Amino acid sequence: MEFSYKEKGLIASLGVTLLIFGWYLYGAFSKLSLNPEPPGFVEIIILVVWVAVLESIIHGFLALKNKSQLEDERDKLIEKISYRYGYWFLSACIWFLMVQILFDARFDHLPVLTTPNGMFHLLLLFFVLAEVTNFVAQLYYYRKGI
Amino acid sequence: MSQQTLADKVGVTRQTIFAIEKDKYSPSLEVAFKISNVFKVPLEEVFIYD
Repeated sequence: MEFSYKEKGLIASLGVTLLIFGWYLYGAFSKLSLNPEPPGFVEIIILVVWVAVLESIIHGFLALKNKSQLEDERDKLIEKISYRYGYWFLSACIWFLMVQILFDARFDHLPVLTTPNGMFHLLLLFFVLAEVTNFVAQLYYYRKGI
Repeated sequence: MSQQTLADKVGVTRQTIFAIEKDKYSPSLEVAFKISNVFKVPLEEVFIYD
């Protein structure tokens, strides 16, 4: 199966996002009950910088191996439609969280999620999943056609 | 004419030309006109609406 420059870039971004945020969120959710306070600002900045640096290195490497890095109307259309899926997913998650906050008894079985730390990581998880939805939708449309 | 040559003349990627050929993408009017201009034929000789 042959992948285009855009598809390779998307796979790389998806991999880096899943690896870094997946590793971080797994650690955060497994230690959630021990620490009710959200993480420090510096900790999150380091995480985002890690993702940005890794993505830049991989994209730079891919750019060296590919002569054509032109973005055309098809790329923009696929990006636009996929961002919409990511937005819908994020909206659904935010609404879910808002309902949970309004009827806070819903979190009775998982009270750890109502702490600032739990809320923070739940929101971070939703943002990461929305980004993953966007990447997967783009890959799907590049393969299936639009 | 190769897909890459046509793509370069039209200003899109080779993957987009491939997708148009395989009926996986309907190009904009601008790209459709550019393709027909490259082949110097009317639009309806290159594209069929169905």
